[in-house]
This record gives sequence, C-alpha cells and structure tokens, in this order.
Amino acid sequence: MVERSQKEVWRLTPWLMIALLLGNFLLMAYDAKTTSQERVIRVWTQAVANFVQSPVTTVTSSVTNYFQSISSLRSAQTENDALKQRVQELEVEVQQKKELAKENESLKSLLELKNEAKYKILPAQIIGRDPSLWFDSAIINRGSLDGVKLNMPIVNNGGLIGRVIAVSPITAQINLVTKEKSGLGGVIGELGTSNALGVVSGNGKRELLEMGYIPGTIEVQVGEMVYTTGQDGIYPAGLKIGEVAEVRPGSATVTQQIFIKPSAKLYAMEEVAVLLYEPAAKPEFEKTLPNASKDEKKKK
Amino acid sequence: MEQLKITLAVIIAVILQWTLRNVNDVFMYVDFPLIIIVYAALQRNTIKALLFGMVSGIAVDALSGGLLGANGFTKTLIAFAVSEIARRVYLDNLLLQIPVIAGACLLDGLMYFGLHRLFGQELSMPFLETTAYRLIGTTIAGTIIYLILGSFSVDSLKRSKRGSFSSRRQTRRRNPIRLGKR
Repeated sequence: MVERSQKEVWRLTPWLMIALLLGNFLLMAYDAKTTSQERVIRVWTQAVANFVQSPVTTVTSSVTNYFQSISSLRSAQTENDALKQRVQELEVEVQQKKELAKENESLKSLLELKNEAKYKILPAQIIGRDPSLWFDSAIINRGSLDGVKLNMPIVNNGGLIGRVIAVSPITAQINLVTKEKSGLGGVIGELGTSNALGVVSGNGKRELLEMGYIPGTIEVQVGEMVYTTGQDGIYPAGLKIGEVAEVRPGSATVTQQIFIKPSAKLYAMEEVAVLLYEPAAKPEFEKTLPNASKDEKKKK
Repeated sequence: MEQLKITLAVIIAVILQWTLRNVNDVFMYVDFPLIIIVYAALQRNTIKALLFGMVSGIAVDALSGGLLGANGFTKTLIAFAVSEIARRVYLDNLLLQIPVIAGACLLDGLMYFGLHRLFGQELSMPFLETTAYRLIGTTIAGTIIYLILGSFSVDSLKRSKRGSFSSRRQTRRRNPIRLGKR
C-alpha cells in the first residue's frame, strides 16, 4: 500500500469530504422520494442487524423477567386467588357465548349469509427500537418469509400500535401511531351508531394522539373509546386506538380538537402481533373519466 | 494497533447504538458512533474518520425512521471539521476534548434537524428538549469512553514498559563497562 505524505492527505481530504457529502445527499434525496417497496439498503441492513439485535433482546428480556418474577412473588398469593375467581366468571361467560355463537350460525345459515374471511394473527417480538432518538419506529422479528407485507397493522393486547413500513425476509420495520404524519380513520364509540368520525394522527408529543375533523356540534366526553373505522384502506375496522383524554370544543363552523391516550403501551412493548390483513383491492382507475390524466389519454 | 483500536471501537459503537435502546430508553440519548468518530478525528486520522462517519451514519439510518444518509452526512461533516481543528489547535488533553464532543453533538443535532426539514420530513420528538438531553448524555458517555480508550493507547503502553526497565538502566549507567581502558 502506498504511504501518502501528510501534505497529500491534507490535500485529498476536502475532496473526499465533498464526494462523501454528495453521496449522502443523493442518498437522502432518493430515500425521500422512494416508496416503501424500494428501500433495498434499509431492508437488507435490518436483516443483517437481526443477528445482533435478537440475541441481545433474548438475553435482556430473560434477565428482566427473572428479576420481575422475584419481585412479583410477594403478590402471587393474592393475585392467584383473584385470578381463580375470574376464571370461574369467564367459564360462565364462555358457555353463554358458545350458545350465542351456535344460534348465530343457525341464523346465518337460514339467511344464507357467507362468512367473511377473518385475518390471521402472527405473534412477533420487538427486537430493536429506533437507534436515532428522533423517530418512533421499531424492528420486529417477522418478515416476508412469515407472510408479513407492507402496511399490515401491528397490535398488542392493549390495542393498535402501528403499521409495517419496510419488510425484509426475516424482519420488518414498524412505525408507531404517534409518528406525526401517520393518519388513520377513527370513530368515537361504535361504528354505525356514532357520528364522531375523524382522522387520528400523531402530534409530535409522546403518548398522545390527536383526532381532527369532528364537527363542533357532536358531543364528545372524556373517557370514551376510539376505534378504527376501516375506511382508510390500511387498518381493519374495530381495532381499539385509545381513550379520549382531552376535548377542546368547537362550534357549528369550527371542528373540535380531541386528544387521545393510546390504549397500547407504546414505549414498553415487547410482544406484539401482526394482523395478516390485506384490505380489499381498490377498483382500477377509470380511464374514460373526463378528469383522467393527459398521459393516460395519450397512451390510449 | 491504534488503527485497529479505532476500527473495533466503531463496530462496537454501531452495535451498541442498534441494541441498547431496547435495553433501556435512557441509552437513546447517547450517540456512540459520534463519540468514536470525533475520537478518530482528534487522533488526526482524517480519512478514516470521514469513511467511518459515512458508514456508521448509514448503518444507523438504515434501522431508523429517518432519511437514509442524513446521519452519514452530518457525521462526515463533523469528522472533517474536528480533524481540521485538531490539526491547528492542541486538543490532546481530555479536558479540551470534552467541549469538542459537546459541540459536535449540538452541531450534529442541528444539521440532522435541518436536513429533515429541507426534505419535508417531520421529526417525532420535540427538538430543544431532545437536543438538550442528548448533549448531556453524549458528553458524559464520551468522557468515560475517551478515558477508557486513552488507557489502551500505544503511548501509555510504551510508557509503562519503559518504567519497568528504568532501574536496570540506571544500574548500567552507574557501573559502565569500559572496554579497552585502564
């Protein structure tokens, strides 16, 4: 290897810096413009990082669980008694639900209704959080080989967590619902009975979401539950988003500003689930419409 | 030896940056690759610092929700700036290196924020509060890491070796063997 003199190095350094800066700038411009399906570098780096992140996560969660199990021994007896009672109550409920399900099936068959295809649930583990503290993303240990695809919802037992934004063969990157630009269709109360439909998005604050486009004439109470509507084309209907924490009322012409506390513990999650849900395909763009783009018309 | 030490330090820094946030959220306020890149630049390893800056920046960006290349851009620029300052100003003392780490961290945060704004991307965390915590965390961690890296430096190893032979040399000087003289 040729040894360079110090002066040569000092002469080369600014040019090397400019070349590297230009390379990074072009990479940023490309990444800002690219859709999620084309993020090759990101996806393969995540796949490689899995071999580092997974063992560390396994070790740390084992250690944490060990110490937690020691600390929870004290309350074990009381908790055990409470859980036994709850099991008995649930057994009664399950029996009642079984009877209702039988009745439902027989009624459906009478009406000749087809069963809707239900989506499957794939359990996953968070193996890494965003290494840059500026964003709220995470890496899970499931990828395209397990059937995970872009935009699939992520949930845990609390409720909705986010969606998949990049997929490698063995891992996937997810964005949390608190990311500012993420928006999803939400309804306060039950869909079909409530008029309080709006858009839920992050507002730059941790652990708080904002819901907009709710008319000022609709009454909203603190503590009401918010669910997904299924109309955004990403999330299925009925997923729990959170609870109304604060309402800034509007008027007949001004919409209300509603703040929601997410029901899922977004910053203390380890075990999550991927909903293998694919929304119905949208109809192909109608090319005969008068507002079809000029390019489409020229191609014809 | 020094080159190997810095290369290993960068690899370990990137691995720590990938994994430690999952252990505890406190670690997200420490930028390990930045600390090592500033160290490399202070050792006047300019070319290595620039290359490490780019590679470690892209490695962190790939697992992040931000733009790919943003960290690479900021760390390359900081590596160049620090190495140019180190060439002109004496910065071998740890007390002088502490404000360098702090300044680099602040500049890194400002540039990262500015680049994302330029490309129309919003950050998920409040800027001032996050930058302040990051400045404190990175400076403290950087000071500790520099102390550890300094204890592994070649010069300190040579000094310790010289120290163990000094009494023997003094003995030789006191009783020199004069060849051919009466």
